Amino acid sequence: MSEQRIDSVEESHDPDWFKRAVFYEVLVRAFSDSNGDGTGDLRGLTSKLGYLSWLGIDCLWLPPFFASPLRDGGYDVSHFTSVLPEFGDLGDFVEFVDAAHNHGMRVVIDFVMNHTSDQHPWFQASRSDPDGEYGDFYVWSDTDDKYADARVIFVDTEPSNWTLDPVRKQYYWHRFFAHQPDLNYENLRVQEAVLEALRFWLDLGIDGFRLDAVPYLFEDEGTNCENLKQTHEFLKRVRAEVDRLYPDRVLLAEANQWPADVVDYFGDPTVGGDECHMAFHFPVMPRLFMAVRRESRFPISEIMAQTPQIPSGCQWGIFLRNHDELTLEMVTDDERDYMWSEYAKDPRMKANIGIRRRLAPLLDNDRNQLELFTALLLSLPGSPVLYYGDEIGMGDNIWLGDRDSVRTPMQWTPDRNAGFSTCDPARLYLPVIMDPIYGFQALNVESESNNTSSLLHWNRRMIDIRRHHPTFGLGDFAELGSSNPSVLAFTRTFGDDVVLCVNNLSRFPQPVELDLRRYEGCTPIELTGRVHFPRVGELPYLLTLPGHGFYWFQISQTEE
Amino acid sequence: MTSHQQGPPGLTAALRGWLPRQRWYAGKGREIAALDVVSSALLRVGDPELHHMVVRVEAADGTVEDYQLLVGVRDNLPDRLDHASIGAVEHRCAYDALQDTELTSVLLDRLAEGSTVEGRRFVPEAGVTLDTSQTSRVSSAEQSNTSLVYGEAYILKVFRRLSHGVNPDLEVHRALSSVDCAHIARPLGAIEGELDGEHITYAMLQSYVANAADGWHMATTSVRDLYAEGDLHADEVGGDFAGEACRLGEATAAVHRDLAQAMGSREAGPEESRRTAQQMRNRLAAALAVVPVLLPYAEALRGAYDEVASLSEPVGVQRIHGDYHLGQALRSMTGWVLLDFEGEPARPFAERKAQMSPLRDVAGMLRSFDYAARHLLADRPAAQQLEYRANEWAERNRDAFCAGYTDAAGQDPRKHATLLRAFELDKAVYEVVYEARNRPSWLAIPLASIARLAS
Repeated sequence: MSEQRIDSVEESHDPDWFKRAVFYEVLVRAFSDSNGDGTGDLRGLTSKLGYLSWLGIDCLWLPPFFASPLRDGGYDVSHFTSVLPEFGDLGDFVEFVDAAHNHGMRVVIDFVMNHTSDQHPWFQASRSDPDGEYGDFYVWSDTDDKYADARVIFVDTEPSNWTLDPVRKQYYWHRFFAHQPDLNYENLRVQEAVLEALRFWLDLGIDGFRLDAVPYLFEDEGTNCENLKQTHEFLKRVRAEVDRLYPDRVLLAEANQWPADVVDYFGDPTVGGDECHMAFHFPVMPRLFMAVRRESRFPISEIMAQTPQIPSGCQWGIFLRNHDELTLEMVTDDERDYMWSEYAKDPRMKANIGIRRRLAPLLDNDRNQLELFTALLLSLPGSPVLYYGDEIGMGDNIWLGDRDSVRTPMQWTPDRNAGFSTCDPARLYLPVIMDPIYGFQALNVESESNNTSSLLHWNRRMIDIRRHHPTFGLGDFAELGSSNPSVLAFTRTFGDDVVLCVNNLSRFPQPVELDLRRYEGCTPIELTGRVHFPRVGELPYLLTLPGHGFYWFQISQTEE
Repeated sequence: MTSHQQGPPGLTAALRGWLPRQRWYAGKGREIAALDVVSSALLRVGDPELHHMVVRVEAADGTVEDYQLLVGVRDNLPDRLDHASIGAVEHRCAYDALQDTELTSVLLDRLAEGSTVEGRRFVPEAGVTLDTSQTSRVSSAEQSNTSLVYGEAYILKVFRRLSHGVNPDLEVHRALSSVDCAHIARPLGAIEGELDGEHITYAMLQSYVANAADGWHMATTSVRDLYAEGDLHADEVGGDFAGEACRLGEATAAVHRDLAQAMGSREAGPEESRRTAQQMRNRLAAALAVVPVLLPYAEALRGAYDEVASLSEPVGVQRIHGDYHLGQALRSMTGWVLLDFEGEPARPFAERKAQMSPLRDVAGMLRSFDYAARHLLADRPAAQQLEYRANEWAERNRDAFCAGYTDAAGQDPRKHATLLRAFELDKAVYEVVYEARNRPSWLAIPLASIARLAS
C-alpha cells in the first residue's frame, strides 16, 4: 500500500510520524491576510509556511475553515466540502497543502462529525421535506422527552437538548447549541455522506482529521448518550476506510473526558488500536499549572500514574493552551473532589481552567516559567500541540471576551497591523494587541528572529533538540522519585535513546538526589549545551536547579 | 561459645572508636566503660563474610544499651566501601555490611526463603513472595535506625537500639495490615530472635512507597511560597497546603479507627485522667529545672493540666502512633501513608505500647504545623510581617487538618479542647527542653506557642 503513496512530504512509508511530530494549531483567520481585507486567509497562511518550517513544526492543525454562518467559531459547518469564502477557495487550500508538504510539514484539519449548522443544506432539506432524501438525516421527535439521561452540555445557554423546529413542527436533537442539530448516525446514508466528505479532503492530500465531539454521535434510550458502542463501531468503520485507501493519515479524537474513558477511542489494543490514532490528554494541562502553583510534583505525578497504557499504534496529544479545556463534570467523583479542593476553589486557578488567556499572560510573562512549561510540554509523553503566537509569547486581550481574546492577529513585525494585514486598521477582524508589554511594536516575529536570546529562538532550539531524540515521541516514561516534592524527574527511554528530564517546579533553587543506579557509569550530557556532567556512581546523584529550572540529559550507555 | 559467637576477633576494640560516630548511636557524650558482643551469628562465609551481632555498651554512668550490628569482613576493602570501614581484624577489614549491596542481598534472600540461621528467624508475612533481584541502598532519611531500600520495592528497617519484646512498629503494622488499613506501607516480613531468653525484633521489611515526599518537605515548600508573597494571605498563595492538610487529617482518623478495630479501645475513667495530668506535671517540673525561661508560664501550664485532672467524663483510649508529626507521613501517589509506629524511641516499650488518647497524635500534628510555619523564621531578623503570615498558615492548616479528621472520624477533636490543649502544651514543653539543648535558635518556636496556648 505504501508504494502507492506519492505525496511529496513522503520519502517512505512512515506510520509513526504523528508520534514524533510537533503540532501547531493555527487559525487561518488570525495568521496572515494576503488580500488586505482585514481577515487572514489560506494564501496568507501559505506565505508563512517558511517561518513555521524554520521553527521546526511537523504538522499544522487547522480548526474549521469551512463554509459556516460562524455562530460557533466555524464549528457550525454549513457545507462540509467548501471553504469559507473569506479564507479563499478550494484551489487555495490545495495549494496550501502542497506547499506545506514541500516544506516537510503535514496538515491535519478539523472535522465536525456530530452536527452541522442549521444552515446546512441537509438540515434545510430535512426540516422542509420530512419524507425526502434528507428527512432522516437529523434526530427528530414529536416530543422533547426522549434520551432524558443525556446531560445538557452548554447549560448556560441551552435549556434542553431538544428544540422545536417551527418549520417541521417537530423537535430536533442537539448536544451543543440549538443552531447545531445533531446528525442521525442511525441512518446509514448519513454515515455514507460523512465518509464521502472525509474522502473528499483526504483526496486533496491532507494528512488527517481532528474529529470534533466524537463521544456524542449516537443516542440510546436509558443511557447518557456518550461513548456508546455504536459510536465506537462507526469510528472503526472510518478508521478501516482510512487504512484501506489513505495510509499514514491520522485520526485525532477530541473526547473531552478522563483518560481512562478516552482510551476507548484508540480502539482494540490487541491490534495496536483500530479507531483513532491520537486523542487529547486533557487533564495534563491543568495539572501542569496546578503543580507549578503548588510547587509540588504530585498533581503531575498522579495524572501520569493514572494514565492507562494506550495501544501500540497510538499517541496522546498534549497542549498548554488551545481552545479545548478540561471541564470538571467529566471526571470521577474522587477526582472531582480532589480537583475541586485543589483547583477550582482557588480563584486564580479557576481563571486558568478557562479559555480566556494565553500562555505568557497566564505565567505573568515570566521567562523562566515559560521555558519550564514548554520544556515539560516537549518532554512529557505525547505529541505536543503548540498554539499559534505562544512561541513568541504573545499576549491576549481580555476585553474582547471569551474566545476572541486569544484569537488576535499574529504579530509579525512592528509595522502597521503588526504586519498581519495591509488593510485600514479599523477593518481588522480583531484589533492587534497594543498594550505596553505584549504590544506588536515590541513583541513580534521579526524582532525575536533578530535576537537569538528571544523566546522564539529558545523554542526553536528546544524543538530541534526534541527532533534529535526520538525517545521524546516514542519512549517509555518512568518517573524517578525523590524526597524533594518540588522536583519532577523522569526518564524517557527508547532503546539506547535515554533522556533524563529534571524539572524544578518551585520558584526557589532546589537540590535533588536521584537514584540513578541503573545508569551507573554513564555520563549525563546536558542537551542544550552538551556539557558533560559528573559520572553516575553508586550513591544518589545530586543536582541543584535554579528556580523554575530544568535539565534535559542524554544518558548514554556508551561513553562519549 | 564457638569463636564466631564473639564475632571477628579484635572487633570490639575497633567498635569503641566507630560506634560513637554513628548517627543512630544514642549514647553520644557518654564515655564507654565496657563493650561486649553478647550475640553473634555468621550469615555468610567466605569473602566477604557477614556477621549478625548484638553488642552491649555500658556507659560510665551505668546506662546499658544493646545495639544491632551487621558487620562485613573482607580481605581487601574496595574504595567504594572505604566510608563504611570499622577497622582491621586480623589482617582483614571489618566494615558496616549494610553499605555493601553484596551482603545486604543475603538478608533479602534469607527473608524470601523464610530460613533460620543460628537463632535468627527470617520470617516473611503470610502469603508474601519476595523478588530477591532488587539491590539495596541505604536510605538517608533515618535517624535512629538504618533503613535499606531494595530497588523501589521494599524497605528493610534495621533497628539499631534493641529492646526486649516485639517492636511496636512491627506489632502495629501487622495489626493495621490485618484490617487492611489503606494508609500504611504493607509489612512483608521480619527478622526476629531471642536475646537473654526474650523475644527481639531485629528488623522489619515493608513495601516501599516509591515516588513519595514526606509531609515536612511538603509543608515547608508551602510555607516558603507564602513567605515569598509577603502581602498575600495563606489562602491566596499558590502553595496553599490546606487541601493536603485536610486529607492528612482524614488519613489520621482512618488509621486511628483501624488501630482501635485491630488492637482494641476502651474508656478511661477520671482516675486515669488524673494520672495523665500528674505525668504532665512531672514532665513540666523536670523541664523547669533545665529551662528556666519556662517559669513565667508554669502557673498557666499547671492550670491547664489541672483541668485534665478534674475531667469527669471518660476519655477514649487506644493504641496510637505516639510520635506523630509531619515527618511521619508520606505523600504518595495515592494519598497519605503513615510511617514509623515505634513511638518515641527514648521511652521503654511498655510505655510506648500503652493505650492513650488519640488526641495526643492530633496534638502532635498540630504542633508540627506550628513548627513548619515558623522554623524558617528562626534566623530571620525583623520578621514581624512574616510572623503574622506564619500564624495564618499554621491556623489555616491546623483547621484543615482538624476538619479532615472530623469528616473521617465523625467527631471533632477540637470539641475536647481541655485535653487537646494540655497535650499540645505537654508536647511544647518537651520541645522547649529539646531545643534548649540542641537548637537554641529554635527555642522561640515552642515558647511562643506556650505563650499563646497558656494565655
